Amino acid sequence: MASSDPHKLMTKADKLTKLSLTRWSADWKSATQLYEQAANGYRVAKDYEKAKIAFEKASKGQEMLSSPWDAAKHMESAAVLAKDLGNWTEVADFYRKASELYTECGRPQPASDALAKAARSLSHSPACSALEDADPDDAIQLYTDACDILEEDGKEQMAFDLYRAAANVYIKLEKYTDAAAFLLRLGLAADKCKATNSQCKAYLSAIVVYLYAHDFKQAEKCYNDCSQKDKGENVGLLPLAYCRIDAFLRSDQSRCASKLLSAYREGDVEEIKRVAHSSTISNLDNTIIKLARKLPTGEVTALKTDDGKDEEALDENDLT
Amino acid sequence: MSVIDILTRVDAICKKYDKYDIEKQKDSNVSGDDAFARLYGVVEADIEAALEKAEAASKEKNRASVVALNAEIRRTKARLLEEVPKLQRLAMKRVDILVFSLNFLFVKGLSTEEFAARNDLVLALPDRIQAIPDGTAAAPKQSGGWSASASRTEIKFDSVHVQMGGLTMNTFNKVKSLVSLGRSMKCVKQSRQDQGLEMISEGLDTLKNMAHDMNEELDRQVPLMDEIDTKVDRATADLKNTNVRLKDTVNQLRSSRNFCIDIILLCIILGIAAYLYK
Repeated sequence: MASSDPHKLMTKADKLTKLSLTRWSADWKSATQLYEQAANGYRVAKDYEKAKIAFEKASKGQEMLSSPWDAAKHMESAAVLAKDLGNWTEVADFYRKASELYTECGRPQPASDALAKAARSLSHSPACSALEDADPDDAIQLYTDACDILEEDGKEQMAFDLYRAAANVYIKLEKYTDAAAFLLRLGLAADKCKATNSQCKAYLSAIVVYLYAHDFKQAEKCYNDCSQKDKGENVGLLPLAYCRIDAFLRSDQSRCASKLLSAYREGDVEEIKRVAHSSTISNLDNTIIKLARKLPTGEVTALKTDDGKDEEALDENDLT
Repeated sequence: MSVIDILTRVDAICKKYDKYDIEKQKDSNVSGDDAFARLYGVVEADIEAALEKAEAASKEKNRASVVALNAEIRRTKARLLEEVPKLQRLAMKRVDILVFSLNFLFVKGLSTEEFAARNDLVLALPDRIQAIPDGTAAAPKQSGGWSASASRTEIKFDSVHVQMGGLTMNTFNKVKSLVSLGRSMKCVKQSRQDQGLEMISEGLDTLKNMAHDMNEELDRQVPLMDEIDTKVDRATADLKNTNVRLKDTVNQLRSSRNFCIDIILLCIILGIAAYLYK
């Protein structure tokens, strides 16, 4: 077929939808069909701009016909084309719209899938390295929304991948506290699903991220929190010695974490390097492994004196 | 190819070509050229085997097997005692003649120390052999021997020091050096074992991690499968329903006269067409 055919279809469909004196209500059914055909024709002809517009209009038509599922599907196609064109704001918009339509259908999973696709395409965009602010933040926002949708639906298992991806984006942006926070959220979700391996890996990754950000206190606090969290008791302030036994403590990862922390406390660089190259760390995510290999960052010996003061303060708290 | 595949393949290839590894061969036959050392090595190995059997016998509950093991041990001891004079003769040799003839570029003579050490080794052998528990021995007397594990060596060491008051300090020092030599050989063996064990443990770690991940993935997919199950059940019910209705409709059509009328009309049309074309 000649490429003028999609043009003709488009004009015809436009005529059907435009309200005028002779036409009092738009004929969405046939218009939608024509739009779809035109969009496919444009896509085959590799005219992405027009195809995108055609898909948008088709989606609107489907909405009018109250079939949100088809509408959402068209929106996704439009978003894919927008990605090819490199129009990142539109990509985000389209995927969001698609996700809303999916939720309208009562299908939360495709909704979160759509958001995840959006976030992935944004974080893989070449513009990501150039513009450091706008796109990755969008990506993170999309990931968060996607995770929220899944958690509401009670399907946290699917959210693991999304949390990990979001944490990776944060690490790329060098926002280490946020990354660690996300990893802890992952740990929480894993706890709900009783996925102990993922949970322990998440906690270990969080500790590594804290150490990389040179935040030793946070890392220790994280380790203690994780050791007590699984018991489900609200224990408040407990000194280091009172670690209960539970799923995290019994795991390889917690042993590795305690080795790492004690190596940091001693200021022993060799030991840190050895732990960082151990197989437990190598089972984590790739970005986390890269961080671990780069440990220790900065001055390690300084931590020794700080820690001594810290322990004294804790003891005082105990007595009073 | 995954990492695991590569690892297993490399191991298989290394095992296959181990026999060409000269260094390994040298290590395993440390004493390839030396007749004394070779024979001594063999005797040592036999003594070790006998000691192991003795341990097994002591742990064994079945009286019959204990007796059988003890008999075996006694036989081995007798054989070893016969080998001892041969060893003594070899130890006497100052220089290994065969080696000398082969490497006339450099004389592979024995130093005084080594020579004396060898003699002591051989002297200590009969006592060691006798010391192997074979069910008939009373409380084992301290021999001048040193056993395999380092801790027992230390204990025996003290008793040697006490019991053999007759030995001169010189001999005592030689015994010490021999003990350390034996210990270092054991260390080398152990370190190689440690290396192998470390590799195995790393592989197991990877396996464990993969297994855990697989477990979680399967757990994730179980509720999805349940959903698929319900949906497919619904779909099959719908299909069955539709099929039944379709059958009814077709039957209705078939049973009516319309079908026959259709056939007759069709025949008429075909007849007309044939007539026209003829």
